[in-house]
Amino acid sequence: MTDATAAGVPDAPRKSSLYAADARTTRRNKAEKRFRAYGLSAVSLGLLALVLLLISILSNGLSSFRQTYITIPVTLSAERLDPAGNRDAAEMARVTTFGYVPLLGQSLVDYVAAAGIETELGAQEIGGLISGEAPAQVRARVLANPGLIGQTIQVDMLVGGRIDGFFKGRVSMDSAGRDSNVSPEQLLLAQALADEGAIVTRFNWRFITAPDASDTRPEAAGLGVAIIGSLYMMMIVLVLALPIGVASSIYLEEFAPKNRITDIIEVNISNLAAVPSIVFGILGLAIFINFAGLPQSAPIVGGLVLTLMTLPTIIIATRASLRAVPPSIRSAALGLGASKMQSVFHHVLPLAAPGILTGTIIGLAQALGETAPLLLIGMVAFVRDYPSAPLEGFFDPASALPVQVYNWTQRSDPAFVERASGAIIVLLVFLIFMNAMAVLLRRRFERRW
Amino acid sequence: MNDMRAVERDVDIHELKMQARGVDVFYGDNHAIKSVDVDIEDKTVTAFIGPSGCGKSTFLRCLNRMNDTIDICRVTGDITLDTENIYDPKVDPVQLRAKVGMVFQKPNPFPKSIYDNVAYGPRIHGLSRNKAELDEIVERSLRRAALWNESKDRLGEPGTGLSGGQQQRLCIARAVATNPEVLLMDEPCSALDPIATAQIEELIDELRSQYSVVIVTHSMQQAARVSQKTAFFHLGELVEFGETKHIFTNPDDPRTESYITGRIG
Repeated sequence: MTDATAAGVPDAPRKSSLYAADARTTRRNKAEKRFRAYGLSAVSLGLLALVLLLISILSNGLSSFRQTYITIPVTLSAERLDPAGNRDAAEMARVTTFGYVPLLGQSLVDYVAAAGIETELGAQEIGGLISGEAPAQVRARVLANPGLIGQTIQVDMLVGGRIDGFFKGRVSMDSAGRDSNVSPEQLLLAQALADEGAIVTRFNWRFITAPDASDTRPEAAGLGVAIIGSLYMMMIVLVLALPIGVASSIYLEEFAPKNRITDIIEVNISNLAAVPSIVFGILGLAIFINFAGLPQSAPIVGGLVLTLMTLPTIIIATRASLRAVPPSIRSAALGLGASKMQSVFHHVLPLAAPGILTGTIIGLAQALGETAPLLLIGMVAFVRDYPSAPLEGFFDPASALPVQVYNWTQRSDPAFVERASGAIIVLLVFLIFMNAMAVLLRRRFERRW
Repeated sequence: MNDMRAVERDVDIHELKMQARGVDVFYGDNHAIKSVDVDIEDKTVTAFIGPSGCGKSTFLRCLNRMNDTIDICRVTGDITLDTENIYDPKVDPVQLRAKVGMVFQKPNPFPKSIYDNVAYGPRIHGLSRNKAELDEIVERSLRRAALWNESKDRLGEPGTGLSGGQQQRLCIARAVATNPEVLLMDEPCSALDPIATAQIEELIDELRSQYSVVIVTHSMQQAARVSQKTAFFHLGELVEFGETKHIFTNPDDPRTESYITGRIG
């Protein structure tokens, strides 16, 4: 009332048609249309980048889930493998992997001859089709079961990386001609053996289960140790970061007095979330390895470093979801005579749980993909032995998925490009799984008030 | 004859339940409540009226120490419950709040089942020995809040699924389940429609038979309808306190009169 009189009598409204848009409206509508176009193009650009990334990774990496094997009968002759003749495993172990190489090579030569395949290659080159990994596997099998000696058994062996590449289209006759590791004649023989049914390409469980292999044997390299290492680290991060993070958030948000000290703590937590991860690696190296004397390359150190890195993420997410619980719920509980702690644990925490879980899983996913700090604490090491079961396993050397990717991209053999892309796919599958779980938990526990 | 009259008067004037003497409340530097004296009688509805920001809700929250949860809030003066000073250092506010229950402005049921909402207070205070006793308390409380008939077949459903008026009655049931001696209500009907308001007012009148009820309200009609005693607050001061009939028909203070007749506020 008073406002209207103070403003005086308003001007008489101007007459205009609703059908004709005035200049101002037209300009406003155009601006809106432009903004929509910008937004749409930004989103499409992002989607395009994602699609290109996925296509490049999938096209490079999917083939690593298939591997070429050769299956031939091998006669395990006693005079070669057990010169002492007493089937004693300790005695037989004296025959090294190199003792098995000619055995397998000769078996293949015999098989080629029996199958009637014409070739000009010598025994050495025919044997070269078989992976350097195969003799070790046959040796392990024989040592585990000495009764096999003297028998003829069907052996399923990896073929060399170049031959595998030939069946996946990575190696051609042309490139083989320029390659000192493989000759076109070997490829022809491999093709003939494939026609014979001795060489097949099939799903490759070993890529997921086997440990890493040396530079010259990409066909044998697998992610087993890296997956176990990453899994152990995630277990450590979950067990340490979740309780510490949630407890400190609850204290800071619900109990701590609001003063200068808590302000400083709050600012520092936000800053920690922005600290480059490699700094945490240096911290881990200095404190956990050099000062505390924990072993290098061990999941325990990696887990501790990643815990430090994940804590700020979890604390920030938890505090945000605690703050999102309406204060009326707290007053309702307090008004009924609940203590502060009862009101937090009975009412606030259950309502904040979906947010806390989501934050934790996102923090874990971040930690799972983290490479830099792990490089500094020695997890780049070449590890071929599986770590043992927890808790001792936490102290055994292991690798981690992202570090394995980094490792493989450093190697010269082009077959490792395929392996690295395959490892990225595995990593992505884990991340997608974790994010899906976060979404699912949020849906499941979300409550309205 | 004289003796007889004295007895009659005793029935009419109830026992003193809570007494506030010289209560001052500060929010930081802001002096929100200035030296307020109020007597709250047992089995009586006392209404606090006054314009927005006059401190009536703040004073109400002093009566069960809900202001303790606000860091910058400071309360001085004496408030007693049955002659015991509730701001004594020996007093645990948790025990006090079990005796002095509270219903808030906005219905705020827990996002749990109706049953769990009502059973929460008795559970944390250990008022029942077994499930059967707890069931009985829940039923009694819901009956007292006039919600039993509507909710008895859906006790397992979430309390947040009820309508606004039902939610507020659920909050009242939840508050009476702990068997409080005083029930504080902070504008309990401001979020409700007239029909739900009428139900709550009826309920308040029934609750008077067992509890001392203190209600903060913006509606003078509501104060006139439900209360026996009325306190008028203005700018942090208690302007006038007395029989509701007296305040509304023949106020002593000119400020009370101008508020009631709609000239201020």
